[in-house]
Amino acid sequence: MMTLTEYRYSDVVHRCFRCGYCKFPVNWIDVNNCPAYARYRMESYSTGGRLWLIRAWLNDEINWTEHFAEIVYACVSCKNCVEKCPLRFNIDIVNMIVAAKSEMVERGLVPSTVKEFLENVQRQGNPYGSSRARRGEWSQGTGVEQYQGQEFLYYVGCVGSYDTRARQTAKTLASLLHKAGLSFGVLGKEENCDGNEVKNLGELTLFEMLAEDNITQFKALGVNKIVTLSPHSYNAMKNDYPDYGGDFYVYHYTQLVQQLIGDGKLDISGGFNARVVYHDPCFLGRWNEEYDSPRRILKAIPGIELVEMERNKAGALCCGGGGGNFYADFLSGSENSPARRRVREARATGANILAVACPNCMTMLEDAVKAEDLEDKLAVRDLSEIVAEACGTE
Amino acid sequence: MAEILVVAEHRRQTLADVSLQMLSKGRQLADQASAELLAVVIGRNVDGYAQELARWADRVLAVMNEKLGESLAEPSQKILTSIIKERKPSLVLMGHSSFGMDLAPALAVELGAPLATDCLDLFIGNGSITATRSIYNGKVNAVYSFIPCETLIVTGRVGEFPIEDWDKQGEIEEIDFPLEEEFNYKQFEGYIEQEAGGVDITQAEVVVSIGRGIKDKEHIELAQQLASELGGVVACSRPVVDYGWLPSERQVGLSGKAVKPKLYLALGISGAFQHVVGLKGSKMIVAINKDARASIFSLADYGIVDDILKVVPLLIQKIAALKG
Amino acid sequence: MDIVTCIKRVPDTSDADIIIDASQREIEGDTLAFKINDWDEYALETAVQLKETLGGSLTAVTVGPKEWDDVLRRALAMGADKAIRVDEDMITADSYMVAGILESLLRSLSYDLVLFGAQSEDFGSGQLGIMVAEMLGVPHVSLVVSLQVQDGIARVKRELEAGALESYTIELPAVLTVQTGINRPRYISLSGIKRAMTKELQVLSLSGLSLSQEMLAPMVRLERLETPPTGKKAEFISGSPEESAEQLAKILQNSGVF
Repeated sequence: MMTLTEYRYSDVVHRCFRCGYCKFPVNWIDVNNCPAYARYRMESYSTGGRLWLIRAWLNDEINWTEHFAEIVYACVSCKNCVEKCPLRFNIDIVNMIVAAKSEMVERGLVPSTVKEFLENVQRQGNPYGSSRARRGEWSQGTGVEQYQGQEFLYYVGCVGSYDTRARQTAKTLASLLHKAGLSFGVLGKEENCDGNEVKNLGELTLFEMLAEDNITQFKALGVNKIVTLSPHSYNAMKNDYPDYGGDFYVYHYTQLVQQLIGDGKLDISGGFNARVVYHDPCFLGRWNEEYDSPRRILKAIPGIELVEMERNKAGALCCGGGGGNFYADFLSGSENSPARRRVREARATGANILAVACPNCMTMLEDAVKAEDLEDKLAVRDLSEIVAEACGTE
Repeated sequence: MAEILVVAEHRRQTLADVSLQMLSKGRQLADQASAELLAVVIGRNVDGYAQELARWADRVLAVMNEKLGESLAEPSQKILTSIIKERKPSLVLMGHSSFGMDLAPALAVELGAPLATDCLDLFIGNGSITATRSIYNGKVNAVYSFIPCETLIVTGRVGEFPIEDWDKQGEIEEIDFPLEEEFNYKQFEGYIEQEAGGVDITQAEVVVSIGRGIKDKEHIELAQQLASELGGVVACSRPVVDYGWLPSERQVGLSGKAVKPKLYLALGISGAFQHVVGLKGSKMIVAINKDARASIFSLADYGIVDDILKVVPLLIQKIAALKG
Repeated sequence: MDIVTCIKRVPDTSDADIIIDASQREIEGDTLAFKINDWDEYALETAVQLKETLGGSLTAVTVGPKEWDDVLRRALAMGADKAIRVDEDMITADSYMVAGILESLLRSLSYDLVLFGAQSEDFGSGQLGIMVAEMLGVPHVSLVVSLQVQDGIARVKRELEAGALESYTIELPAVLTVQTGINRPRYISLSGIKRAMTKELQVLSLSGLSLSQEMLAPMVRLERLETPPTGKKAEFISGSPEESAEQLAKILQNSGVF
């Protein structure tokens, strides 16, 4: 069992002096920009409070309890704190929390939904525990081809493969890529979890196994370029897989689609008439500093009036779906949940379309729109769906 | 086949329903095979039970002994072994209850008899018996046969065989069975009643029941809201209690409570037998579950295949809207 | 205190399509994932917690083919000191046979307590633990939901119908079968499983155990597998969550529920 001195960040974990900057967005306009703090409004749920508790636990000053584990796991890895913390170790803050989670994983002491998530991934290659054999079902009737050396591997991910709403997005994107004449294939039931959430839940060995197995599979198939549906997959494959020998050209679909539009391969002249507000997904935005490609897409489509929320880009409020939380669900049950706050914020811009570029954001925000009773005023649409409508492929 | 023996169980001055179910099935088989139906009841004072059992059985053995206190399986095992070795019934039946689960396997080993447990049905034909059991989460039935043997032991699924009324007026024989053994290695300490909680789900008209599909205890609130809208109570299946999200007084099922509401709403419940046995008395059953193949759907009147976390909030709204 | 826990590997049938194969005696296995039997996981957690409080050794055993090594590895990762698999490929309908094999194995081990799960997720007979107890000639209690051990005596609570419990004291050595909900089994991390690879996993052959021919001749035979009759089917309400909620609300209103 790891002690405080063995903890990798023992020299900095106590250095938080509780300034509270981590709760704010870059432009300071709201103190509720840490999703867990926004939900619970208690210091223990803010980054600073969490770090203090982690230190106390590793130093044997407090005991592990289910509640303590929930506090730690309520961190959804959005990196707002990393963006705002004025201290020089800020780049490691999320890593510090993940390291604490991994110690809990080692000791077998994780909240029950996290245990289910990880066991399901171990057993069926997806957090839902759905049968591996069903992973390719989303593409039935679409004519999407199996990957056999085409130019691009279209990697769908667990949420896109199994979640009913996200499956629609997976299909829409496939039809867009097809329309653009892109040479691509999918893995279908041979696809396995990318591991991004697994890593953020602290199960590092499982993540390594997933990464290594995926890389072996991709290499054997001759994969060179990958386009992902989800920014989570994008993040893992672009930033982590190289450490395991996986060097591929990885694109999030917005980066590719933006180019396809620019090159005239997708004719968006059909337009899309709406006032659209774009929600930056954390794993595209703060994690990978990709704020522009999605916006260029929206600006290019005739009929779209693009508006911005006050907290956007590096200051965006996370939907609360990261760190496995779209499944484990530690931040719901209140109008203060980050997803509901975000939806209210989107509505305040007067937009009638809330555009997302991530299947986790889609799930979290659509549920929040219903909880907020805004279904007839604000619709959540994936960027692929907006483009498809503009292209007439919907 | 000359004799079919049914082991009757009782606890706290009540004859178990499952014994009457097994007797009913035994009666049917005995008549089919032109055999005698024998009921055996064991305890300190079993006259009353014997009278009841005589309605189905041709003969009742009422075995009494001062030492036969509460439901310790071991003395029953000793007594039954002796009776079975003497009488050699072709078939021994009992319920697959907590009593039967403790007794039957040990009895089978002591007698060297084949055993089939938790059976849905039994067929006698061409001088042989086959038994049907449910396996793989209720998705498959398995039919078993047995080697030719003197005695076959079968335990039946609780609630599976209907109780049929008979009036056989069977002969009652009282036996005083001397027991030398003391059974000191295992001592019964007492019963523990479920803690009297606030809610008696067995009296509710509307039951909103949640299963594993609720995913997190935070969502229980959704079920509570729905229950309020409908004037009902929240209940659950076993996994929810195992996780510590609701107290066991809310559990519906074999080791929980039986409910008979006007409406039973099963949310994220797969329909495992141990659970559904508790809700069969419901007038209307509605199930919402992501898995189209969940066995709850073969019990429900209406079904929605979808994520309860998506449907329930909307259902609450729609009901509230209709209420005006 | 020496504890032996008997476990098995089962298919994960919760979301899977179960297809009966051409022989009508087995189910098709290629799309299935496997796991440790739920009840056995609770039994293992019970054993590990006992070992953590009272000290001693914990051995995990199974009777099965080499694929079943994974559940033994998980048991080792959870805290068992060693594991033993009796190599046996036959799927039998007869728990008596498996019980005989376990009896023979257990007679060669020293134990104060033998734990089983109350039943298995695949066949659900609930017979094995009690049969083994009877064969060994030791006391048994099934459906245990609470367990405390002190000075060679176990105090257990056992689950009855309708939410009631009964309590017993039982002298060790004894066999207990464990019911779900007795505790919360810990998560088994992949690194834990990797580290457990260094722990001992012994494989024994049937011929190494002294078993009579009768023991290995099953008394119960599987004739065939069948798809259960579907019975009355539910009327399915389809559409988006919004649409189905609306329809259901109307149905409930029309039925006088509110």
